[in-house]
Amino acid sequence: MRNDTLSRIGTALGLALIVIWCLLPVAWIVSLSFKSQEAVTNGSPGFFPSGGGGAGWQNYVDVVKDDQFRQAIFNSIGICLIATALSVVIATLTAYAVARLEFKGKKFVLTTALVIAMFPVVSLVGPLFDMWRTFGIYDTWAGLIIPYMSFTLPLAIWTLSAFFREIPWEMEQAAQVDGATAWQAFRRVIVPLAAPGVFTAAILTFFFAWNDFVFGISLTSTERARPIPAALSFFVGDDPFNRPASLLAAGAVVATVPIVLLVLFFQRKIVAGLTAGAVKG
Amino acid sequence: MTTTAETSTKPRREARTSDKSRAENRLAIKLVAPAIALMLLVTAFPMLRALYLSMFDYTLTAPDDRTFVGFQNYLTALSDQLFWRDTANTVFIMVVTVFFELVIGFAFAMVMHKLIFARGLVRTSILIPYGIITVVSGFAWQFAFSNTNGFVNNWIPFMNTDFNWFGDYWSAMAAIMVSEIWKTTPFMALLLLAGLAQVPEDMLEAAKVDGASWWQRLWRVILPNMRAAIMVAVLFRALDAYRIFDNIFVMTNGAQGTESISFLTYRQVIEQFQLGIGSALSVLLFLSVLVVAFGIVKLFRVDLSAARQG
Amino acid sequence: MRRTGAALRRTLGAAACATLAVSFLAACGGDSGKPTLNWYINPDGQETLTQLAEDCSTDDYDIAIQLLPASATDQRTQLARRLAAGDSSTDLMSLDPVFVPEFANADWLLTFEDDLADQALDDVLDGPADIVQWNDQVVAVPQWANTQVLWYRKSLAEAAGLDMSQPVTWDQVIDAAADQGGTVGVQANRYEAYVVWINAMIQGAGGNILDPDTVEDGRDAKVTIDSQAGKDAAAVIQKLVDSGAAQPDLSTSNEGTSLGRMFPSEGPGSFMVNWTFVYSNYKGLIGQPGGPADDEAFEDLGWVRYPQTVEGEDSKPPIGGIEIGVGAFTEHPDFAREAALCVASPEAQTALAVNDGFAPTRESVYDSPELAEAFPADLLELLRDSIDEAGPRPKSAFYSQISNAIQSRWHPPSSVNPDTTPERSAAFLKAVLRGEALL
Repeated sequence: MRNDTLSRIGTALGLALIVIWCLLPVAWIVSLSFKSQEAVTNGSPGFFPSGGGGAGWQNYVDVVKDDQFRQAIFNSIGICLIATALSVVIATLTAYAVARLEFKGKKFVLTTALVIAMFPVVSLVGPLFDMWRTFGIYDTWAGLIIPYMSFTLPLAIWTLSAFFREIPWEMEQAAQVDGATAWQAFRRVIVPLAAPGVFTAAILTFFFAWNDFVFGISLTSTERARPIPAALSFFVGDDPFNRPASLLAAGAVVATVPIVLLVLFFQRKIVAGLTAGAVKG
Repeated sequence: MTTTAETSTKPRREARTSDKSRAENRLAIKLVAPAIALMLLVTAFPMLRALYLSMFDYTLTAPDDRTFVGFQNYLTALSDQLFWRDTANTVFIMVVTVFFELVIGFAFAMVMHKLIFARGLVRTSILIPYGIITVVSGFAWQFAFSNTNGFVNNWIPFMNTDFNWFGDYWSAMAAIMVSEIWKTTPFMALLLLAGLAQVPEDMLEAAKVDGASWWQRLWRVILPNMRAAIMVAVLFRALDAYRIFDNIFVMTNGAQGTESISFLTYRQVIEQFQLGIGSALSVLLFLSVLVVAFGIVKLFRVDLSAARQG
Repeated sequence: MRRTGAALRRTLGAAACATLAVSFLAACGGDSGKPTLNWYINPDGQETLTQLAEDCSTDDYDIAIQLLPASATDQRTQLARRLAAGDSSTDLMSLDPVFVPEFANADWLLTFEDDLADQALDDVLDGPADIVQWNDQVVAVPQWANTQVLWYRKSLAEAAGLDMSQPVTWDQVIDAAADQGGTVGVQANRYEAYVVWINAMIQGAGGNILDPDTVEDGRDAKVTIDSQAGKDAAAVIQKLVDSGAAQPDLSTSNEGTSLGRMFPSEGPGSFMVNWTFVYSNYKGLIGQPGGPADDEAFEDLGWVRYPQTVEGEDSKPPIGGIEIGVGAFTEHPDFAREAALCVASPEAQTALAVNDGFAPTRESVYDSPELAEAFPADLLELLRDSIDEAGPRPKSAFYSQISNAIQSRWHPPSSVNPDTTPERSAAFLKAVLRGEALL
């Protein structure tokens, strides 16, 4: 009994540690975003805004009013959603083939995906920049959507094929035996079974695209296509010589909101997706 | 999706004639073609272009001066101590961060495995660092370590509050690694948690009955059974860490010798417009990733097909 | 979708224009038929520049502001990438002086000929006039000039017994600050302004990073940093690092980090070399945190010419500022040139000086009543003299590499040693210029 209590206390302690570890820096950036810009310029060490150094919502107001930042948010959402949608569709086709069909190039597909997943993206930006300026898609949405798609494909393919392998495809036949048409069987049986996997793959793909920085800074040069991470790193406030720390923090919090929302609503799915391949080793 | 429907409606008991397998082959090729084409367009093609450009002395700001130099750019890069310093930095970051991620991630996984309450809370918390933008994590930690606006100096006992973390190599590297470890440990923990679930409970019970201590159970039962999961986690994290760029860009911008090999390549190509030698570095970076991947696979005998279901 | 929509519209528009070119030539060129010129600006002085863009828009064209990142390196990268991509929407650019040779050499800037060249250089001080000329052609219009002076607290200098009416040396300034528990503010992060500091000190000692006679030869320029002047400059850095006057964030310091240490809540304040905006900055901060407590405290702010590296040898203050260039691929070259001259007109320079503390490049503007009202007479005179007698950074098409090479061998400041740093940086610089070393 005593041992049990001890272990329960230990688990609770571990739980607290995990939560602190994960959320402290997030809390910090939120706290920083409430420090006033003057206080930050003149130095205001410490976790919380101190004596008169608070800014209320001012930094958020400033960030949201900033055209460049608004445009960057818009770019990021647009680019990431399009890239995610396209990537997931293409990956679904591939994953279906990998999970369900026997064919000669299977090994090649999986190896390619593996190599791409390990690819050092920085080594591509030079030639890609050169190619994109020839094609005229430098500094456009398309210029980012294409690389985002290719680099999210491996993740999407793996996740989806892992999910697809778990689908009891013979249920489809069973439904047909029971008198359903092929389309009905597919729609009523397979789609509901596959949908969670597709959805999970979409979330992971979105995370990946949302996080990209290397392409974002290399293949854009104006707000026309610049995504949030790049915009944050170039963010300038009224004072050209000081990085506007608290304003940046507010921007960072805004950029993190979509992630937090996705995590809050779909945590179970995300975890399942992340470990889909590994669990069934 | 209609193609999916068609194939699966084919009578199942039909004998696997070569006709059928040929049809299956054709269908499969059609299905995987878009993905393969896209992946190659953005990687293989540029890589070949990099290979070509790396043979030239070519600066974007002086495009008329392009001259063929053969392998000179590779010689210059490989005989430059900056290249080796940055490679050493990168390997150093990779080894240290993966080590800490593994240890901390394993501890997290153990806790989560035991957890019977508040699972949603833990899952949510642990996914936030995973999902957060690396640049944001870099900023958060840069400001946290800042001696003008941060809290780290105030929180560490006996610390000089004026200490400038980004003022010298070791402390700046430490700050960069903390941001990297913070952001990626959750991913490690989740993979390890999945691995823990594979450890057969009955083996653990048997070991317990045999009087094995907790430590013995960990080393004899848990870890050997998690081998595949651990190795895959290590491989993926190590390769990711080897490509470290974002945190360095926002936290030090390479100052105090904290450049990684990715950062060096980026600077040559994008900042200096040295497409010639920059392309040579791109090729070398790619090759070095292959070497690292191969090294890890060989060293730890990772069975990728087992872990990622081939 | 707005943006892609616009891009798509442009492409379609261009195609449509091509097919309809014969009959409806005049209708192509924008939604309303009135072209928009994009002007890429630096973040400093945004409000005034936005106003200027509006004022200089005409019935023929509108000028739209596009904001560049804050650091000079990033500004250069963003602009150069657009130009390398042959971007026709880059019409006007605010250029840092050191970008001019590189961009001009790459044929990315349209030249100003004849009458326009005269207008660009009319009444312009020597320092800025030299910057915008490349291969005997005018490639940009000087809009405003920047220079550094030594800002200080009069009470601090007095307590240290330093006579500020005479030229002061770096040695004296560092000793004075260290004696009184004050600090010396410089820019020594690994970035462009650190090279500004190093270059100014080397020139102040009568030397140069590259031989000025061969500097325009690009890769064949002669490296002269390994000289007594180089050693003198290194000695100053070493002395500051070893003294108690160095600010704690020395190796990551920039133009902004030392501002707060001029009027600290405790302590005697500082000496600081910094650009002209400092005056307006503190004037606007009176009574606020980080600024002087009241008007009286503001009166304690003093300014003198950039410190000497070697006693008795005139200092060579740094020069910076903005030159307005016209992108080589613009669709509206004549409009863009006209607009460039407009945003650098005497009226524009007056507005920039009064609102943002940016020093004019045209001499007559210094005598305008608006400036006399906005700045103390002695400060105006100091700025004009500093700009006129400034020591420019190497005027090379490979400046960005030169600057990076210097940064790599002189940073961190604590590693600087007069006996080795100039020598090592000379060897490295030579290798870099020959393309034999990585940066």
